[in-house]
Amino acid sequence: MAELLIILGWIGLYAPMALGAIGSIIGCAVAGQAAIGAMLDTESGYGRYIGVSAMPSSQVIYGIVVMFTLNRPISADVAPGIFAIGVLAGLALMYSAIYQGQCCASAIHASKAKPEIFGLSIAPAAIVEGFAVFAFIFALVISGGIAQS
Amino acid sequence: MHDRFKYILLLSSLPLHPKSFITAKQTPVSRIQLDKRLALLSEDDATELGRIESILRWGKSADETDQSSVKANTQLLALIKHPLLQHIVGWRLELRTILSALRKRQAGINPTTADVFYGFGKWPELIKKNWHEKDFGMSHLIPWLPEANKLFEAGDSMELEKFMLNLVWQYYARLGNDHYFDFVAVAIYVLRWDLISRWSSYDRDEAKLRFDELVDAGLIDF
Repeated sequence: MAELLIILGWIGLYAPMALGAIGSIIGCAVAGQAAIGAMLDTESGYGRYIGVSAMPSSQVIYGIVVMFTLNRPISADVAPGIFAIGVLAGLALMYSAIYQGQCCASAIHASKAKPEIFGLSIAPAAIVEGFAVFAFIFALVISGGIAQS
Repeated sequence: MHDRFKYILLLSSLPLHPKSFITAKQTPVSRIQLDKRLALLSEDDATELGRIESILRWGKSADETDQSSVKANTQLLALIKHPLLQHIVGWRLELRTILSALRKRQAGINPTTADVFYGFGKWPELIKKNWHEKDFGMSHLIPWLPEANKLFEAGDSMELEKFMLNLVWQYYARLGNDHYFDFVAVAIYVLRWDLISRWSSYDRDEAKLRFDELVDAGLIDF
């Protein structure tokens, strides 16, 4: 049982980083393709399309910070807490990055035809980012309650 | 990548359609450019799109009868794999069936006697049964039929064409609402492009010339 807990602890430690990276990979790929497509159809504004398509990369950074915050000697006592916080924070970061990528793709697609809505069109992506920040901040706060072994 | 985002690059590279096709003077992108972008489709999807366009292509060859046309298109329709696209194409064919019935009735053809009426979907039987009723007894099922019939009887071909194309345009827009970057969105984009292409290619002088050609061709037979 103790060995299983330790395995779960290690999974929880790396989960925010790995899941955040998976989310950022998918999100940036989706938004990036939209940016490339938009560049084929427009004569200007390339920089902002690429800029928006990079928005979902923040989740992997949050994941790395959560991972370092959770990092401590893994024992049966601390493993359940690390697992719970790590996996749940990782899932939240992953989903937020994927859906943020979709929001960014839609924003690029819409603002291509109507450049004046560019600012407003990235608001949904910014809101999704806000939820990722919640998950990130409260993972840091909660992890303070796990003993350092 | 998930099917919902399969064609994000392709669709983002295409200019948006106007809100209404009526004001469009030309297609938002040329067919050459459109075909270049459609090269991003997978082989299966390209085949599927080709099949859809071939069914909905206007006109038929002189040696093709209604019966053979219905049979061939029914077979092609069954080959469309995506249920929504099959539904859209089926709906267009049913719409043509109803228009064809209106034209035949005006031409004095009576399917209940000598001729047989061929068509798609669930309407042919009902049409035959209610041939002499103004709306084929179907206006409670097809809300646009009375208006189309009114324009048809008034002989206002242009308004009728506009009305029918707008009906199709709105239908495509409604069904395309839930699809942003998938194959259905690509197919609907191309079908709407076809509508704009058709509408913007109408030319009064060209039509007069064509009419004269047809009259001349008809006179040769006498």
